Amino acid sequence: MSVAPTLSATALHKSYGAGAARIEVLRNLSVEIFPGELTLCTGPSGSGKSTLLAALSGLLTPDAGAVTLLGEDILNRTERDRDAFRLAHCGFIFQGFNLFPALTAFEQVLLPLKFMAVPVAAARERAHEALAAVGLAHRAHLRPTALSGGEKQRTAIARALAKQPQLLFADEPTSSLDGANGRIVIDLLHRIARERGATVLCVTHDPRLHDHADRIIHLEDGRILRDSRPTHS
Amino acid sequence: MISLARITLIREWRRFLPAILAVGFAGLLVLVQLALLLGIFRTIAVYIDTSRADLWVGYPDTRSVDLARPISTRNEVFLRAHPTVADVEAFDWSVGDVRRPDGSAALATVIGIDTRAGALALDRVVTPAQRRALDEPDTILVDMSSTANLAARLGTMLEVNGRRVKVVGLTRGLNAVGGANLTASLATARSLDTGAAPDQVGYFLVKLRDPNAAARVRDELAPRGVNRPYSVWTASEFSEMSQRYWLLESGLGLGFLFSGGIALCIGIVITSQTLKSVVQASLREYATLRALGISLRSLRLVVLEQSAWVGVIGVVLTVLITLGIVRLAAVFHILVTAPGWAYAGTAGFIFTIALASGVLALRALAQSEPATLLR
Repeated sequence: MSVAPTLSATALHKSYGAGAARIEVLRNLSVEIFPGELTLCTGPSGSGKSTLLAALSGLLTPDAGAVTLLGEDILNRTERDRDAFRLAHCGFIFQGFNLFPALTAFEQVLLPLKFMAVPVAAARERAHEALAAVGLAHRAHLRPTALSGGEKQRTAIARALAKQPQLLFADEPTSSLDGANGRIVIDLLHRIARERGATVLCVTHDPRLHDHADRIIHLEDGRILRDSRPTHS
Repeated sequence: MISLARITLIREWRRFLPAILAVGFAGLLVLVQLALLLGIFRTIAVYIDTSRADLWVGYPDTRSVDLARPISTRNEVFLRAHPTVADVEAFDWSVGDVRRPDGSAALATVIGIDTRAGALALDRVVTPAQRRALDEPDTILVDMSSTANLAARLGTMLEVNGRRVKVVGLTRGLNAVGGANLTASLATARSLDTGAAPDQVGYFLVKLRDPNAAARVRDELAPRGVNRPYSVWTASEFSEMSQRYWLLESGLGLGFLFSGGIALCIGIVITSQTLKSVVQASLREYATLRALGISLRSLRLVVLEQSAWVGVIGVVLTVLITLGIVRLAAVFHILVTAPGWAYAGTAGFIFTIALASGVLALRALAQSEPATLLR
């Protein structure tokens, strides 16, 4: 691969607890993730995949190791710098959608842009675009209680997308969705990687997604067991 | 641009209602307790505050107006001798054992006042006509707040210390803390006070030609030495002394302060817990915003704005209901006093509670890495 990695981790260690109850979640794990691809990270429960995602995105500080995002050493930065970095470059999607119950889909997408100090007119345009990109332009005025699970997740994707992030992290984005909605969501993530050149890292234990991935990293006991590039049409 | 705080408050008002009510009622409890307490204290000093005297002269070192002990009438000459003194009049104070028309007993304070037109004593509660009516021997005025207690109306015959007196008028605003206030002429009061010596009186009220000279004249009139025959106070000083005595040295004042304090604590606990639960219900959403790179400071401002609105609405609720209660109390002749500073103080206080509760509620978010909240 000639493209430089946008995301790389070297010799990551992370453990929880102490003494006999100590659990090593990441053991000397090194990995490089590339832009323009949808990289899936799979593995059984407790294999450390969510911890890896949190560490790679600067949401969690590992016990040892280095994390480089877009060429910057993220761990040697202050909390405030890390916030600023994530605000400028990162998007997140979670299993639980995490939408504010009071806000309409449009407002959910608009909210991060407000904190990014994007001018109002531009922010509204970007929010409309993002919702249109996930196929929710006609549902923009609805609050989460009026949206289906798939629509909620697509709103969450639009919220991440409107920030125009170079790095997109998704933690079990399809786990609470049925097959059809799961497929829509993974297709969206794939398209974001391909069409926008974003680096998309998706943690999942959903085997249905394997067909859509450019690369699959299989994790077990805090180590990378397999790293493969499935060939599909 | 959208305000997360306001939109949430408006669209999810049901979630904030308990917090708003908690803030509002905590304020209400404190404010009404305070108003009752101040009302009671005003009751203690009502004799001073409704009279027109500049100086009060009474038994040496009396600490509260209701603790009157007699002084000699001979002192009047010395008081009148001062060039700034315009007028001096006697004011009598005694305890009366009242027998109601139905024969049951009640306790009362019998106040003897000068009945001359333009007299100083109880100037603001006794009308000139009522004062004239008291010239007839064995007549009294009863305060409206005590008519039920004494089973008395205009024209009723009561028995005070074994002597029959007729109710010839009703005063308004002469509430008493215990028992009832009966107002009589000095002569009638004297005849009702079985233990009174003829040359003794409860207080002298002094009117000055220059009211601004009160403090100076007080010092000039004050006797020196060990066996002083009397003490002199300015009216405002004596009023404050009496109220302070009741606040700090009577069980009544301390009891009220205690219950007011408890009301405050309950308000703080309920408010902070409710606001905390509202914030915590959205903790995952806030954590998501943290993940997206929105600073803790920005989120704190959102929660602070929310808490501030809860505080403001709570304060409005408190003030409106308190105004209603104060009005209602007036109808039932209950003395409550809610001055502006009590409203402002309570409002400021509960607003602060609301803000502080909001800040505390965000601690869960500040103390943990966002990742742990997003599991």
